[in-house]
This record gives sequence, structure tokens and C-alpha cells, in this order.
Amino acid sequence: MAYVRANLFYEREQWKGPVLLSVGFHGLLVLSIVVWGYVAQQHSTANDWGIKQGDAVTAQLVSASIPIPKPEQSDNIVANENKGVTQTQPQAKPVEKPPEDAVPIQGKVKPKQVEKPVQQAHVTPPPRPIPTPETAVPYGEGGPVSGPYGSVTTANYKGGFSFQNADFGGKYGWYVDGVKRRVQQNWLTYEIDPRIKAPHRAFIEFDITRDGSPANVHLAQSSGVPSLDQSAMRAIQRIDSFGKLPEGNSVTVDFWFDYPPK
Amino acid sequence: MNKSTSNRIVVLGVLAFLMVASGCKKKETAPPPPPPPKAVSATLSANPTSIEAGQSATLTWSTENATDVALDGNKVDPSGSQTVSPTQTTTYHLTAKGAAGTQEATAQVSVAAKATPTPTPAPTPTVTDDQLFAQMVKDVYFDYDKADLRPDAQQAVAQAAQVIKQKGWKVQIEGNCDDRGSTEYNLSLGEHRADSAKQALLQAGVSPDSIKTISYGKEKPQCTEQNEDCWQKNRRDHFTLLH
Amino acid sequence: MAKEKRTGKGTTGLLLLGFMLLGSFLSAAAQDRIKIELNMGQERPRIAVPDFKAANADAQTAPLNTVFNQTLWNDLDNAGIFDLVAKSFYPSQTPGQPAELQAKAWGDPPPNAGVLTFGNLGVNNGKVDVQGWLYDVKNPGAPQILGKQYKEDASPDNARLIAHRFADEIIARLGSGIAGIAESQIYFVSTRSGNKEIWQMDYDGANQKQITKLGSIALSPRISPDGSRMAFSGLTRDSWQIMMYSLELGRTVAFPRNSGDNFSPAWASDGTKIAFASSMHSGRSEIFVADANGGGARRLSTGKGDVSPVFNPKTNGQIAWVSGRTGLPQIYVMDADGSNVQRMTDQGYAVSPAWSPNGLLLAFAWVRNYGPGVLGGSDIYLMDIASRQIIQLTHDGGRNDFPSWSPDGRHIVFQSNRTGNEQIWSVLADGTHLQQLTHQGRNSQPNWSFK
Repeated sequence: MAYVRANLFYEREQWKGPVLLSVGFHGLLVLSIVVWGYVAQQHSTANDWGIKQGDAVTAQLVSASIPIPKPEQSDNIVANENKGVTQTQPQAKPVEKPPEDAVPIQGKVKPKQVEKPVQQAHVTPPPRPIPTPETAVPYGEGGPVSGPYGSVTTANYKGGFSFQNADFGGKYGWYVDGVKRRVQQNWLTYEIDPRIKAPHRAFIEFDITRDGSPANVHLAQSSGVPSLDQSAMRAIQRIDSFGKLPEGNSVTVDFWFDYPPK
Repeated sequence: MNKSTSNRIVVLGVLAFLMVASGCKKKETAPPPPPPPKAVSATLSANPTSIEAGQSATLTWSTENATDVALDGNKVDPSGSQTVSPTQTTTYHLTAKGAAGTQEATAQVSVAAKATPTPTPAPTPTVTDDQLFAQMVKDVYFDYDKADLRPDAQQAVAQAAQVIKQKGWKVQIEGNCDDRGSTEYNLSLGEHRADSAKQALLQAGVSPDSIKTISYGKEKPQCTEQNEDCWQKNRRDHFTLLH
Repeated sequence: MAKEKRTGKGTTGLLLLGFMLLGSFLSAAAQDRIKIELNMGQERPRIAVPDFKAANADAQTAPLNTVFNQTLWNDLDNAGIFDLVAKSFYPSQTPGQPAELQAKAWGDPPPNAGVLTFGNLGVNNGKVDVQGWLYDVKNPGAPQILGKQYKEDASPDNARLIAHRFADEIIARLGSGIAGIAESQIYFVSTRSGNKEIWQMDYDGANQKQITKLGSIALSPRISPDGSRMAFSGLTRDSWQIMMYSLELGRTVAFPRNSGDNFSPAWASDGTKIAFASSMHSGRSEIFVADANGGGARRLSTGKGDVSPVFNPKTNGQIAWVSGRTGLPQIYVMDADGSNVQRMTDQGYAVSPAWSPNGLLLAFAWVRNYGPGVLGGSDIYLMDIASRQIIQLTHDGGRNDFPSWSPDGRHIVFQSNRTGNEQIWSVLADGTHLQQLTHQGRNSQPNWSFK
């Protein structure tokens, strides 16, 4: 090693430079944090539906006229935002879907909207093994999804959910919140193969029965990664009960789990 | 100013007069020649002169014309007395020094051996089983978190085993711990300690029916200070005699 | 040359920083993992809990209303799943009836509450009447979640009881399936009667009362899953025995005596089996399992110096316990038939395992570096069983021991001598909401009821 003479005076003179550099970098760091915080907030509108990051959960499930989250850009062509993946996606229908409020007041509907109930009668019911609850709205075929719907990102959970019964979600937002929280808290991501780098999504569908216990938990759409599928299934299976259903005998719920979270 | 100086003059004057006066007085008488020094005398006596061991005698002395009086090296008054209790025959020396010289005096006190008491018949041994047990079967102590007997403890237990066998005693071994560990684990550790002593007794030939073990964990401490001394005292097997 | 020096310092500094970050990330990862398993997610509903209104001017109404309001607030605060809106944000007008409710005043900022409790309390003819509602104030369409009515003899104890019941109803509705603990009980050992006996108290420390009157030494209380009986170990004239106290009958009931010393009982969560430590077989303590009435005791563990068994309450298929077989006590887990023994801790002095209700975590007391002269300080730790990752719950270096989980799996009660002598404390499993529950005498070995 080269012999270095410790020359105090020489060192002291050299401080000015590095100190300035240090201050400069620190300032840059602080500035970048501030800027990033501001920018990140701007970009969070997609997830703002009723739930803000790190904020208390509020029940805000009122109608289907909610801004649909931006479609996820994913390598996996099978797993995409469109909920119609479990059935062949029909061409986008020319008939516009009326707002939900319009459905009951059939007497007042314009002729245009009268078509809709007729057309809906011809819609093939979703090919599901589970019995459709009497209050369930038939599963839409692509396009905007009905019912309480949201995507969520927290430190532990990235994904989203959808309650198939719009009325239920509208009246019992607090119950839906509880279900969402419970599932996301029960998803143990460390069960998943840590080598997964590309985004994958698993869809799980299940019913909540009258006493609040999950039933018919099944994999609606595989992510292609077995450990992700299994961890998603287990997240639901681990739960004994979500609490008594406030109304009805059964509600069908879809959850999807995105991995990796970032 | 005037007053102080006049005061001074008065004082000086008085002083001078006094000096002169005293001197005058002295001048009047001629000093007589010093008288010849008187002879020093010393006497020492003991009463009684003969005692039995444990009894005491009184030494009495008197001196004349002595300035420095010592009894066996200890300065004493020119005349006085002192009580002594020698355990064997002793000669006491009194030394008196005066202007005329030194005088010595001695006194002897004889000490007779104690008279042998009339032999009374030997008393029947009043040591009970409990007392004997306490003497022969003592607590053994353990190292920190250990339940194996230390070498000294092994010896003690082996010796205790002999008495236990001989006397046909039934023994309870109580295992204890210091208060630092957890309640439940200490019950287990105390159990282990009691069992160690039991195994040692069994090896020494004591019958298993004569031994009972129990653990007190840290529930019955001997002391409660938070120091190693107290903790060591509590890490013990205690033996009790079962009646 | 000076330049070389600077870069040398720079790289070491960066390396250090890197290691620190990595270390903190690793422990943060462990914390996240365990937080997930504790069901303590980041999102909590915002709840506003204004005082209930006094329904009339009866002399007893105001004091009972005060007790009720305090208890309700504490229960909802202690639950660990709500964000209680600060009272300073409340609108000035508090509803006592649904008709008086202005939902927007509560749902909009500044209170920005998600749900609201409100109601009224009144004493009539020696009975206390309480009406309580829970409303979803963000959703003007269908706001009522709960509407309840209670009536009991008027007394502070009953005012507390009603508040506990109402709080539990709220938690059951909003906690999505995990019941509240406001009516749960804690059993513990206390010296305040002169010797160690078993005592009982509400989960928040209220209502402390003596249960056993053994007149000797009573340790290790364990309440049965249905809450009707309590097992404990008691010192008889010549040995320790497992004893059973019937809370319904108010006295001990018969339980088989075994030879040797028998202590540290534990219940299976289905109430059918009791595990305990006994020296009946070998003179050294080993783990035994018997039926709930004490019969059919069979030996499980083959080691010696085994104590403190506890069942996995989710499955009852595993037992964790403490063994001194390698020297200092360590924590082990085995299947309920005694097979598949695994050692869980690898150093120090580890005792008092407690299994979380969801079966995923072990709480235990640990002195990581144990040795002669060390003043025996121990802390409570949580271990994720699957990954063996550990986080530390208490940090003050006093003696913290005997953790016990609440039925909702979010709280832990334990004994600590941080105030100078042993007392019982409770804490949320993420370390917040630390509370001292006992103050008199020396209190130890707490056991939380199953429901």
C-alpha cells in the first residue's frame, strides 16, 4: 500500500469541495423525494375509488358508474382486466347499458331502453356450476362490469375484487370492505415462488353463504404459476367466516391476485 | 492620642516597679544549699499469696521518694493496688525510681491447679433424630441451571446415605431453584435436582422406598436478595426427615 | 493521495449503508410477514364514537352513562382494527336517535368517518336501558348496520357489560368474521390474599376477583375452551397435582391424582384433551396427554425435563412445549401423537410458548444471551412457525414472561416486572396499546379465555 502522509492542512483545504457536493446531493435527494411524492399522488387516481393508500377504508360502493381502472399492461395475454375472460368475449354491443336505476322503472323507459330488458332475456346465462342467487345480476359479457368493483394496492396485496351483486354492494359497502380487508390480510405472499418476475394474475371465485363462510372456492382463471394459484386459493380457504351476510342467502365474489406486487 | 500614651506610661511604670519589687524580694534571702536526696523505698505485697486457677489476688504497693513507679513495665501511681488473675504462678515486679536511686519490690502469687470435680455420671445423649438428621443430612447446592451434583455434594450425599441406611430413615428431597428462571421450567429443574440426589442415594444403597422427591421450583426461596450469594443459597436440594 | 483516501472512505461508507439498509429491509420483511399473519393490515375503518346521550334526568343515568361511554370507547380503541376519529373533529351536535342524525356532518371532513356509533342510555325504575346504532355515514342510501337494545339492572358493572356487548357486536359486524374480545376474561395468579391463588378479571383489568382458596400454592391457570372449568396445578401436602375448578359450581371438582409432581396443564381447543407435565413415570417431568376428565393419561414426550405444553388451537394436531434436554430450556414442536419432534429455538433460554389462534405464530419468552451473572431479563418474542422468523415484542430488558393470546389473535397478555414487581400487562401484537392491568400484590401467569 502506498504510504500516505497525513497532512492535516492539506486535508482541511479539501473539505470545501466534498462538503458542497454532499449538501448538493442531499438537497437533490430531498427534492426528488418531494417531487416523487407529489407525482405519485397525481398518478393514484385509478386507485382512488373509495380507498386511498394508507387511509381508512370507506364504504363507497354505490353504482356501476365508477371510473374503470386503467387496463393493466401485462405480458400475459390471458390475464387481463377484462372480466369476460371466462367466456368468449362478444363484440361490443351497440346498445348502451342503462344506468342501474333505470332497470326497475320499466314503465317509464324510452323505447330504446325497452330493448335492453328484452335483449337481456336472450343473453345466455353464465355457464356456472353454482346456483345463481335470486338477487344476482347476470354476468355481463365484457364491457363495463356491474356491481362493486375495485382494484387495490397495499404493501401486501395487489389485485382487486368484484361482487357480482350490485345491489348488495351498494347497500352493504361496509361488508364488502370487510371481505376485501380480510382476504388481503390473509394472502401470504411468501408462499409464492420468489423467482417470479413477470406479472401474473390468478382469479379466484367463491360464494359467501348466509353465515358468512366461503363456499365453492375455485380457481376461475389460473395465473400459470402454481404457487401463486395455490396461495390465492389458500387466502380464501383460510378464512372461517366473513361475518353473517347482512342480506340474502349467498353472494358470489371474484378476487384476483397480482404477483409480483411491483 | 494623649490618653493612650499616658496609659502606656502608667503600665510601663507599674511593670518596672513590679520587676524591681520582685527582684528586691529575691535579693533579700540567700538560697539555702540543696538537701541530700532522700532514700527511695518500695514495697509490694499480694493478698492472698496463693489462689486457685480462675480466682484473683490483690497486689498492693507503696513507695517513698519515688518519681517513677512501674509495675511490670506499666506506669502506676506511687501507691496503689491492683487486682490480678494469673492462670499460673507469677512473680510481679515493682520498680520505683527516685532522685536517690531505684528500688525494686516483688511479690509472688501462686496458682494451684483446679481441683478435679467429682466425676458426675455421663448424661444420656439428648440429641434427637431430627437434630442428628440436620447434622448428617445437609443441603446440597447446585451450579447455575445445573442439576448434577458437584463433587463436594456427591461426598456429602454418600456420607448421608450411610446414616440414613443405618437409622432406617425415610427422607424427602426437595429441589429448589433461584428466582431468576421461569416458574414452570423451574418446577421441572427442581424436580431434576431432587432426582439427582435421589439417584446418588440409591447408588449408595438406600432403598427407593425410603426416598420421596418433590420440586418447589422457585416457590419457597430461602432469601430474596438479588445477588449471587442469595441465588446460590436457593439453588439447593433440601432434605427433610419423614416421620 | 488525498483523493484515494476520500474514495476509500466513500466505498466503506456505502458498504456500511448498504448493509444497514439490507438489515433493516430483512427485519422489515419479517415484520411485514408477521403483521400479515396477525391480521393487522394497514387499512382500518374510521369510526366515530360520540358519547351516548342521557335519555332522562334520573340520578343514576349520568354516572352510568359515563361508565358506559368510557367502556365503549376503550373497547373499540383496544380492538386494534379501527381508526377512532379524534373527538376534536366531532360536530357539535350528537344524535341520540336516528332521527337526529345528520350523516353528512359525520361522513364529510373534518371527521371523515366511515361508520358512526350513537345512541342513548337511561335508568328507569332501577333498570338501565340502552339503545345503540351503528350507521354507515358515507352511504346515504342504506345507512343502518346495527340497531340494538339492552336492558339490565342498573349498576356500573352492568353499564360496563352492556358496553362490552355492544362493542363486540360492532366488531363482529365490521371485523369481518373475527369476534370481539370485550367480554373475554383473563385468569392469573395473585399473591394479594397472602399466598398464590388463582384470580379472574375482565380483559381490560376491571372486576378482579379471587377464585381459588387452596390455602397453599396455586399455579398455571388454564380455562377450558367453553369457559366452564379451569385447570391449574396446586401444591398438596406432598406433591403437585393437576386440579380442576368448576366456575359453574364455584368449587374444585374431582380430578385424578397422579404420583410424582404434575403441573402446567393445557387444553386442546375442542375441550376434549388436557396435556400436562408429570414426573409420574420417571421422576423427571415429561409431557402427558389425558382426557378432559383426567383419565387415560399417556406419555408423549421421550425427553426429560419437559414442561409447559400447549396445543395448536387451529388444528389440535401439534403440541409445542419446553424441554431442558440439551441444557438450557428450548422450545420444541411435535405432532399430537408425539412424533415429528422439531426444535424451534437454537440458543439462549426460551420458555412459555403460546400458540396464536390462527395456528401460524408462537409467542414465547426468551433470554437470547443467557449466562451466569446475567440478571435474568427476558422479553416476549413472536415466531412465524413456517419460516422460523422472529420479531421482538418487548424491549425494556426487565423480566417479561408467560405470553397468552387473545381469542381474536391480535392481543397478547403477559407478566412483566418492569415496575419493580410482577404485574400483568396487555398489548396489541404489533407492540402498541401497552396497558398495565394489575397493580396490587404480585400477579403472574395470565391466561386469556378462548372467547
